[in-house]
Amino acid sequence: MNAYRDQYATLFKGGKDVVLLAISADSAPALASWAKDANFPFTFLSDPLGDAGKPYGAWQPDIKLDNRSVFVIGPDGKISYKATPFREVDPTAYEELGKAVATAAPTRTSPY
Amino acid sequence: MKVAGWAAAVVCAAGAVATPAAGQAGQGTSQQEQGPAVGQRAPDFSLTAATREGVKQRPVALHDFKGKTVVLAFFYKARTKG
Repeated sequence: MNAYRDQYATLFKGGKDVVLLAISADSAPALASWAKDANFPFTFLSDPLGDAGKPYGAWQPDIKLDNRSVFVIGPDGKISYKATPFREVDPTAYEELGKAVATAAPTRTSPY
Repeated sequence: MKVAGWAAAVVCAAGAVATPAAGQAGQGTSQQEQGPAVGQRAPDFSLTAATREGVKQRPVALHDFKGKTVVLAFFYKARTKG
């Protein structure tokens, strides 16, 4: 998640027009405490039962955790990009994700 | 005391030997397609949300962000790398 935080402005346009939801099986208090300590600017969702992980195929029932994967959903509500698994150690994975986000949410022309 | 021959510590590596299948094209790995395909409607869900400000009172659903671009980043565990 650190890479997400450090590249938040570039990858996710600082949250403008793009919503980043980080999802794991951790409890909500555990996620909140981590978000506070690490100063993460985005929202976490607690998925202890795989309610989100299952329909996205991320849930691993044997260990009750969501595996590392990324989906981009366009304004039309459809999947526009997926990385399953998301190769978090590979810097090109973030580049690719950034491009996918830019394609799904084109930056509006600045009115200044 | 006599050692009764070779101990039966024979680790048998049989069984899960995948066929090398030279020239295997297309869906190379045994991994299945994970989750909805590109172009499909994103499955909705509702979960308890947390931010650096604390745990949110109301659950957050995917449909709350209708009309926006949403990135779902699934990960294993809090306070781990990545």
